[in-house]
Amino acid sequence: MSAIRRRLTRGPAIQSQTIRRGAGETALPYAMVTPLLVFIGVLALYPTVLTAYGAFVHNDALDPPNHFTGFGNFQSVFNDPQVRQSLLNTGLYVIFGVLLSVALGTFFGLLLQRRFRGRGVVLALMVLPWALPGVVEGVIWSWIYDPTFGVLNSTLKTVGAIHNYQLWLGTHQIETIFFISLVQVWQITPLAAILILASLQAIPGELYEAADVDGANGWQSIKRITLPLIRPGLAIAVVEGLVMSINIFDQVYVLNAGASTGSSLMSETYQITFGNLNFGQGYALSLLATVTTIVLSLLAVKLIYRKVEF
Amino acid sequence: MGALSRPAAPRRAGRRRARWLRGAGIGVLLLWSLFPVYWALNTSLMTNAQAQSSPPSFFPTHFVFSNYEAVFGYGPSSASTAGGVGQALLNSSIESLGATLLTLVIAVVGAYAFARLRFRLRGALFYIVVATLTLPVYATLIPIYTILTKLQLVNTYIGIILVYTSGFLPLAMWIMYNMFQALPASIEEAAAIDGATTLQIFRRIVLPIVRPGMAAAAIITFLFGWGQFIFPLVLGSTNSTEPLTVALSALAGRHVVPYTIINAAAIVAIAVPALIVFFLNRYIVDGIVAGSVK
Repeated sequence: MSAIRRRLTRGPAIQSQTIRRGAGETALPYAMVTPLLVFIGVLALYPTVLTAYGAFVHNDALDPPNHFTGFGNFQSVFNDPQVRQSLLNTGLYVIFGVLLSVALGTFFGLLLQRRFRGRGVVLALMVLPWALPGVVEGVIWSWIYDPTFGVLNSTLKTVGAIHNYQLWLGTHQIETIFFISLVQVWQITPLAAILILASLQAIPGELYEAADVDGANGWQSIKRITLPLIRPGLAIAVVEGLVMSINIFDQVYVLNAGASTGSSLMSETYQITFGNLNFGQGYALSLLATVTTIVLSLLAVKLIYRKVEF
Repeated sequence: MGALSRPAAPRRAGRRRARWLRGAGIGVLLLWSLFPVYWALNTSLMTNAQAQSSPPSFFPTHFVFSNYEAVFGYGPSSASTAGGVGQALLNSSIESLGATLLTLVIAVVGAYAFARLRFRLRGALFYIVVATLTLPVYATLIPIYTILTKLQLVNTYIGIILVYTSGFLPLAMWIMYNMFQALPASIEEAAAIDGATTLQIFRRIVLPIVRPGMAAAAIITFLFGWGQFIFPLVLGSTNSTEPLTVALSALAGRHVVPYTIINAAAIVAIAVPALIVFFLNRYIVDGIVAGSVK
């Protein structure tokens, strides 16, 4: 997102690249951007305005009519213990999701930093989980987590890590969230790895040679050269992880099966809106989540992002 | 002599150790990335009894294809799935391809205008389009449902394609914008001096050059479309437009369908994106990088 801002403030540079147009072509640029603007206006901006407005309107299919209610919807959702639980759960999804995906992504990025035979193939295989539908991943992992026939239980028992087969999902709150989050981490880690790899490859090799000459060991060069210089990549990976984990739904829908143990903000919003048909409360939660997503993303960029010059 | 060669020996040993460590790391990476998919494939080729054996068999012993037959509505166990997966595969394909085509055309044309042409309000309009990149699903989900219900576009391909397109446009536009920005303007300037119109320059010169960028944007859009879940879940209440994601979650949620069949259906849902990753992964990496860093 910072990249976006940077791009926008670079107005004059863009200006100089624009090409000269012949006479009678003044309408052309508008014609070219109109379809884009119509789509975004009608199906992104207008709905967002409706969400912001709907959050302040009492809109319950079981209790008509609709009327303005101020912060009434917010009060009712915050008084709902199920919503409070889902907010707490979402906080945990964010912590697990961001930390694990960025840590694993950095590790994978470092592994792929230098050229070696077969690197292209490894990169392709690493991308696979990112490209698969989250729902399908939830289904695949639910078989891995199966309490009676799951490969996780049988493997852990074989190596002696557990004595009895475990119910990984649905009993303990933190455990349930961890194992559902792991499925999302599996999906988004390739994205983090690619973003971090892109900034790793921008680091000039001479820096490492110089460190090598000065007698630095591998860990020292990672700590002193690599980590400070990949901050832009890390920032974007953190933001992507944040947005994905605040929005976690598909994996929860499949693996949590409607229980409140692992419910997320999104699954709770879905339940309140399309299950209880209380659209007003659904709008209130949606607005809350939208604002939180945007504020946290901006904050993360501000904290981590620092322009790197070589 | 001996004193001089001493530093070299530990360094060579260190390199060997580093190579060994990286090999082990790559092993972990591959196991983590591939095992869940392999496990689904393995299970989908077993009978139910084999899948429930303990300890589980890590390789399919007889390659049973009856689960795939059941998924597509053939064979004795097909009753449990009602053969909905075939229709869902068709729905996923129509919706993802339709959204990809529409998104690509609109995004490429719009991105070129923003990247290269000068017009009033360009900065403000561009900012609005890019800002929608930050909107999460929450912002639009419920209103889109009410809007589409009013327009009677619920349970239609058109409705789903329009919604997907609006969601994927900002990213596709941003990817293409960055691709256009990376082109040197001198070619276009030369053509303009030779008297070519803007449209001629765009169609004859620019589009052929950015074909790889368009492939990247198209592939990423298609994969997003294929993976969509909450929008089609909300926007469809019948099997007629249900994509594979919704059909599979319904299948798994019924708790009576054997896991061997569910895994076969999961492999069907995975097959298309997996083939894309194996054969076109270069474009995916380029697209992700163009869509985020820069």
